[in-house]
Amino acid sequence: MRSGDRILEVDSVVKYFDVLERGIFRKKRVGEVHAVDNVTFHIFAGETLGLVGESGCGKTTAGKVILLLEEPTSGTIRFEGRDVVETFQHGHRDEIKQLRRSMQMVFQNPYNSLDPRMTVYDIISEAFAIHRHIPRSQWTDRVYELLRMVNLEEYHAERYPHEFSGGQRQRIAVARALAVDPKFLILDEPVSSLDVSIRAQILNLLIDLQKKQHLSYLYISHDLSSVRQISQRVAVMYLGEVVELASADELFDRPLHPYTQALISAVPVPDPDHETTRIILPGEVPSPINPPNGCRFHPRCPHATDICKDTPATFEDKLVQGHFVACHHADKFV
Amino acid sequence: MDGKLLEILNLRTYFFTEAGVVKALDGVLLEIDKGESVGLVGESGSGKSVTAQSVLRIVPRPGRIVGGSVKFEGEELLTKNEDEMRKLRGPKMAIVFQDPTTSLNPLYTVEKQLTDILMLHRDLSREDASKQALHLLDRVGIQDPERRLKAYPHELSGGMKQRIAIARALSCDPVLLFADEPTTNLDVTIQAQVLELLKQLQKELNMTMVMITHDMGIIADMTERVTVLYAGKVMEVAATPTLFKSPKHPYTEALLKAIPSVKQTRTLEVIPGNIPNLIEPPTGCVFHPRCKYAKDVCVKKEPELEKVTVGHFAACHFWRELELEGKRD
Amino acid sequence: MAWRRFRRNKSGLIGSAIVIFFILVALVGPYLVAYPPRSYQSLYEGDAGDPPSFKHPFGVEISGIDVFSETVDSTRNDLYVGLTATLITTLIGVAIGAVAGYFKGAVSDILLGVTQMFFVVPVLLLILLFARVFSVLVFKGLGLTLIVLILSFFGWSGIAFIVRGETLRLKETEFVQAARSLGARPIRLLFRHIVPNILSPVIVIATLDIAGFILTEVVVSFLGFGDPNTSTWGLLLNEGFPYVRTTWWVALFPGLAVVFCVLGFNLMGDGLSDALNPRLRE
Repeated sequence: MRSGDRILEVDSVVKYFDVLERGIFRKKRVGEVHAVDNVTFHIFAGETLGLVGESGCGKTTAGKVILLLEEPTSGTIRFEGRDVVETFQHGHRDEIKQLRRSMQMVFQNPYNSLDPRMTVYDIISEAFAIHRHIPRSQWTDRVYELLRMVNLEEYHAERYPHEFSGGQRQRIAVARALAVDPKFLILDEPVSSLDVSIRAQILNLLIDLQKKQHLSYLYISHDLSSVRQISQRVAVMYLGEVVELASADELFDRPLHPYTQALISAVPVPDPDHETTRIILPGEVPSPINPPNGCRFHPRCPHATDICKDTPATFEDKLVQGHFVACHHADKFV
Repeated sequence: MDGKLLEILNLRTYFFTEAGVVKALDGVLLEIDKGESVGLVGESGSGKSVTAQSVLRIVPRPGRIVGGSVKFEGEELLTKNEDEMRKLRGPKMAIVFQDPTTSLNPLYTVEKQLTDILMLHRDLSREDASKQALHLLDRVGIQDPERRLKAYPHELSGGMKQRIAIARALSCDPVLLFADEPTTNLDVTIQAQVLELLKQLQKELNMTMVMITHDMGIIADMTERVTVLYAGKVMEVAATPTLFKSPKHPYTEALLKAIPSVKQTRTLEVIPGNIPNLIEPPTGCVFHPRCKYAKDVCVKKEPELEKVTVGHFAACHFWRELELEGKRD
Repeated sequence: MAWRRFRRNKSGLIGSAIVIFFILVALVGPYLVAYPPRSYQSLYEGDAGDPPSFKHPFGVEISGIDVFSETVDSTRNDLYVGLTATLITTLIGVAIGAVAGYFKGAVSDILLGVTQMFFVVPVLLLILLFARVFSVLVFKGLGLTLIVLILSFFGWSGIAFIVRGETLRLKETEFVQAARSLGARPIRLLFRHIVPNILSPVIVIATLDIAGFILTEVVVSFLGFGDPNTSTWGLLLNEGFPYVRTTWWVALFPGLAVVFCVLGFNLMGDGLSDALNPRLRE
């Protein structure tokens, strides 16, 4: 894969979860959670795509679906041109293993993402045990190499997760993800549980590794500041849909979707001279079980008109090339 | 009233755990005037929450206040007994906690939780208390307050629960309000709502508010003065604009350089190392293992909180010599 | 780390001491006592019905059986019932619970239903019923092994429930998801990640189960449904009960043995629970 090629293509992916009611002998489906609803985006080799949104927008589910930790209800996911869902369902065991090796995930909670009963050595070498891409004699060396890559020491390999701080645990998680030599990492809120002074360490580490190892990232977060820091392009999700997608600078400096505008204005800026003109959105985020008709954002949108209530807006970059937005009135903000 | 509303001097609160004595607060100094909006900023282990707990005397076991002085409206709080403190909690000082899910009792309706306090401190009848509660919900911007009053916490969203927690804290018109990371668990757009609400209420009620947070953005937006805590000690105290533009403590400078901003991409400067172990904190200056300017004296001698200028204090041996960088324009 | 906590829990340590004591008695005792199991020898020595003395520390039954020797001999049998039944039920319970918790669909639902059915069965009554039928058919009391088998067959559902619940919870934790994303297959996930992390509650329940199974045996034998040729505490209680007013030592000492043994396991289980589950203490 050269830079410029698309390493990941997500096309019209839908993921609905059933809402079940327990009967005596069987469960009845009483509704569906529209977790991910027709999401389309792609990631270029070597770049970071930021995926932002608030709780319930579907960003974590999208990540899990891409990795096939959840099966999509419909849609296609292509990794390096190959259909991911097809491979998992009908492919050879070797093909599946290879796919698993290429895509890895770093999870949000460093206190939960490492097995408390295994040493760091076991945790990292589990990748070798599953994939056997390295002979046993080289395991120790490789584990030490990976630990050094994430700025940890060799003696850390003998310890257990509870002996480490949050930031250190997150590095171990990164080392584990790298143990299979992946090409693509999904980072799900990797720094949200960490202290401010530690976040910079992990962010810089990730950026550094990306350059050295030619990795591509999907960076999922609700923290817009860190998203801006690490991403080249950013997608904004609301209630299961992508409402805006553009280069980081474009999106943050000239947001075209009212939700993005509100989101950005809501982030407190660490600058006392900055005039806070917060766009306060009324109400709460509606439930993904019964999303509103038309444009899903219309009940809270300060610019909503009649058309927004019945007709969903198309996701397109007609106004500014490369800057995709789904809003009937985006032209007002150009 | 003459003098400060709250004066904390050399406050020490330790936690006596199985693993050892955790020095959560080790000599904290804080002064607040009436009507001020003050920030208490620090990361985990800095002691910011414990400070609020110590003032209200609600430090959980195995913690205990072991020394120092806390004067509220001129009276020493640490010598008061539990009954006397109880009379203060609510009518004089209150706190909004970080997680509204655990700070509201899941077994009782909103109405009951609010009226209980009102009836206790204000000696109101149940009907009068209910009316007050309704008024409070309206005050914190809750739509359809009659229905929400009868609801249980689990039926409400995070933002709404936090508003109720605020309503509860304000129910007896306290003079001093602690807000302990009130928006950390909330979504960004809801956070904006709650912060706006707090700002508004503070102005309306001329309330003295202590905003406890790790978020420098919230500090910049919501506070006039700020105290920076690290590992149980005060690093720097200053007016908010001054802290950002001309910090005098290396920790403050490092913190400002390490946070990404939504306004622009820039290189983040990493603070090496980790938050220290509070059972065996570093000798001398508690920040020295991570400080890029540290010298010999920093390892041996603990710096005093020295006056830089009026209202600006820094606990660093070299604040005069160091040319620290603040936020550039 | 958990050891440190356990060492500090006084009741847990006392319980463990008691348990170790009983295990030693079970292992070594039978070789050291004066009289063989079920022996009426004392009758011929003229000591039948004697109260506790230096020669007979726990006294003698009217039939001539030395209570001390019997109590010691019973220790081995009762512990055998408790430990074996617990071992088998734990293995079955963990296996069924883990599978029921990990997999979705028909398999899981069926296993859950089966577990629920077995859970409701009143094991004690069933044993007594079975013993009655058995004795009518075969003219014998229920031997120990048979009791163990019945207990094992019905007693696994409690553990299965707990294991299923924990498996459901652990399945969603991020370290299991991480292993899945590495490409680990269900067997590896179950045995390398999930089961080691559920051992704590399982160990606690197993310890308490030992006490429970011993008590069940005591009740069965006490009611007369056990094998009169096998020394057990329940049997002794059965023999001593009619003569409580006269030869009270026959019921007292085995009774105390039961109480202390059960107490020992309970205290140990409590201590383990505290040590392995620090969240509750904080």
